[in-house]
Amino acid sequence: MKLRPSLVTLAALLAASAACAQGFKPTRTVELVVHTGPGGGSDVLARAIAIMVEKEKLLPVRMQVVNRAGGNSAVAAAFLAEKRGDPNTLGLFTGVWLQTPLVSTEAKVTLRDLTPIARLVLEPAVIAVKADAPYKTLAEFIEAAKKNPGQLKQSGGSNTSRDNVVRQLLQKSTGTRWAYISFPGGGERIAALLGGHVNIMVIEPEEAGEHIRAGNMRVLAQVSEKRLAKFPDVPTLKEAGFDVPVVPQVRGVVAPPGIPKENVAFWEDFFRRLARTPSWQKYIEDNQFEDGYQNAADLAKFYDEFTDRMREILKDAGVKTVR
Amino acid sequence: MNGFAVALEPANLLWCFVGVFLGTVVGILPGLGPPATIAMLLPLTFNMNPAGAIIMLAGIYYGAKYGGSTTSILMNVPGESASVVTCIDGYQMAKKGRAGAALGIAAIASFVAGTVGVLGLMLVAPPIAKMALSFSSPEYFALMSLGLALVVLLAGRSIVKALLAALLGLWIASVGTDLFSSTSRFTFGRMELLSGIDFVVVAIGVFALAEVLANMEAREETQLLPMPKGLKNLLPTLQDLKDCRFAFVNGSVVGFLVGALPGGGSTIASFLSYGLEKAVSPRREQFGTGVIEGVAAPEGANNSETGGALVPLLTLGIPGSGTTAILLAALVLWGFKPGPLFIPEHPALFWGLVASMYIGNVMLLILNLPLVPLFAQVLRMPVYVLYPLILGVSMVGVYSVSASMFDLALLMVFGLLGYLMRKLDYPSAPLILGLALGAGMERALRQSLMMSEGSLSILGSRPISAVMLSFAVLVLLIPVFGKLNKWRLKALEQE
Repeated sequence: MKLRPSLVTLAALLAASAACAQGFKPTRTVELVVHTGPGGGSDVLARAIAIMVEKEKLLPVRMQVVNRAGGNSAVAAAFLAEKRGDPNTLGLFTGVWLQTPLVSTEAKVTLRDLTPIARLVLEPAVIAVKADAPYKTLAEFIEAAKKNPGQLKQSGGSNTSRDNVVRQLLQKSTGTRWAYISFPGGGERIAALLGGHVNIMVIEPEEAGEHIRAGNMRVLAQVSEKRLAKFPDVPTLKEAGFDVPVVPQVRGVVAPPGIPKENVAFWEDFFRRLARTPSWQKYIEDNQFEDGYQNAADLAKFYDEFTDRMREILKDAGVKTVR
Repeated sequence: MNGFAVALEPANLLWCFVGVFLGTVVGILPGLGPPATIAMLLPLTFNMNPAGAIIMLAGIYYGAKYGGSTTSILMNVPGESASVVTCIDGYQMAKKGRAGAALGIAAIASFVAGTVGVLGLMLVAPPIAKMALSFSSPEYFALMSLGLALVVLLAGRSIVKALLAALLGLWIASVGTDLFSSTSRFTFGRMELLSGIDFVVVAIGVFALAEVLANMEAREETQLLPMPKGLKNLLPTLQDLKDCRFAFVNGSVVGFLVGALPGGGSTIASFLSYGLEKAVSPRREQFGTGVIEGVAAPEGANNSETGGALVPLLTLGIPGSGTTAILLAALVLWGFKPGPLFIPEHPALFWGLVASMYIGNVMLLILNLPLVPLFAQVLRMPVYVLYPLILGVSMVGVYSVSASMFDLALLMVFGLLGYLMRKLDYPSAPLILGLALGAGMERALRQSLMMSEGSLSILGSRPISAVMLSFAVLVLLIPVFGKLNKWRLKALEQE
């Protein structure tokens, strides 16, 4: 029939494009750009990924971490935007990359300006107090906050960080209010809690692990959809009776703009394979991350939802949004 | 102890040497610092045994503090932010022909203080860590106010000019993004200014570039920096060592204690130590013209600070500074969990590290002292070679930190600013001090006010901060007392 030749041509074209997609391989050392300096959260994850790539021989070339700190991710995002069309550069983004453009006019590059590749992990958190604090449950803390509005204190990162978002959501849903004190470094936040200068903090489960083991800290609730393996006795926010959305700390991969579709497909597939390797699984388990793999299309959708929600939360928190 | 058994294993001795040698080189190069170097070496450490790896990385950390003084003294280029204070008297000593003595005392002070720092880590780490936890924002604010009050002692002839310079430094520190409200301040719409102006850029501009510019306009035949003549000036003399007795103690103690505070750092440690030395020295008016204690104190402080910074890292798992943050990341990547139980569960690693730090400090002393006369030869270079070298090294150093042409432009701007300040006789040390302390001070004050719901009384009601603030006020009043005294004597004379 007349249709058959065109079907054949179509099939041939598809096969050819598939072959092209498989034909793309990185030709030089792949650069993985992070927005922190050496030792920062993203930097550590990026280095772990580079090591896994080497160990499991996932790429014919090396992967190298490039630090572009500054501007709360604005510098790293701009660096990637400049590398338009370069298939050998990737960026490791976190929630900050999504939030900073909302509050800074200078941070001009949003995730939509770059090419989303994949979402990798979601990081849950736990709500912790000093071991000798009088609160045994989150409800008790909220009670105490109700009785003394604005007196209790929480330590955390900047006012757009996930720590403050959790606080804003809890405050709104329970009608209470407690103070929030920003400390730029995780170490200082923990020191403030252990020294008794603040009452409560939101902290990553791995960071809290050792202090809990040593008996200095106690966990009241977990900011997570379901209970983490290492915290089987701690209720999630929902289980504890607080109906607030779980806002994750998200990490994933983006590429510069103007990347051909076959490159996107290659990297998508690459990270999907990475997410299945035993080293990755072990890393996720050790660090108590949640495997939040999403492909490029889903990531783009997630980005829109996340920024819309962020805008609302920031408005409630009294932070000026510029985009 | 079996710590030495671990540290004296031939492989670990080798790693120790590699670490301290690399550290010295990194310290000499302005811009490239220990955090970036350690990050680059991390992939290589995965096939090493953890003891050797941490010994090497720690060696880079405290080795860099030894090397940082070299460019400060010879070229007025601070190798890293901790070496800025060394420039003040160190470079003046070089100008007087005593570069060798300055370099030598820097090495010796670093050795003494570094060893004391390790002793502190070994003996009093847990109680010091606990004490450090009682420090929070009000105490940090008071500590930094005390540091800023010392600007009065850096003043030279005009207190007003010194205070103005300090205010300018505080303003430069405010450029960037506010931590608490995420608003941009003084960024002029430029993305590169969102995270503020890097301290190293300003310091190199205001010290090194300004020096070069100022000397370029000299009308007379350009003179070489005097070559140290005779052994007396190639190495510190016995008299020098005697003069520095208190400086050694001062540097060791102040550096260690400030380093143990999670919010402290080597910059403030070196400034505080310098200020304390000047306050108690019988020849305090000469500070700033090339007094050897003015080199010994801050150099010692920035070395014992490394021992101090390891205290919160190893006893609590809390990193106190940029380098300890990457060391923490390294430990985590190797599979350890630094925290309160780290030392009891990994005694071999901890004691091996401590023992290696003693050995490392000895190695560094042996490496650095004989090199002093060699380094002093740099001054043989004619100025038309030396100054472009300084400019080149400065620019490469700044670029290596951030790979940003914008930072290079900023370097030029601050070079011009430093030159202007010299012409108008404004002291530049207070500006650097204001910049170093500004961000931390503002943050600490606002955090304190958040803790107290807006009441300033929190600063006075907590004992530690109250004491430090009173000292700060006293320090600020010293010149007033001095003037009152002179006025009184004059009045007595006239009767």
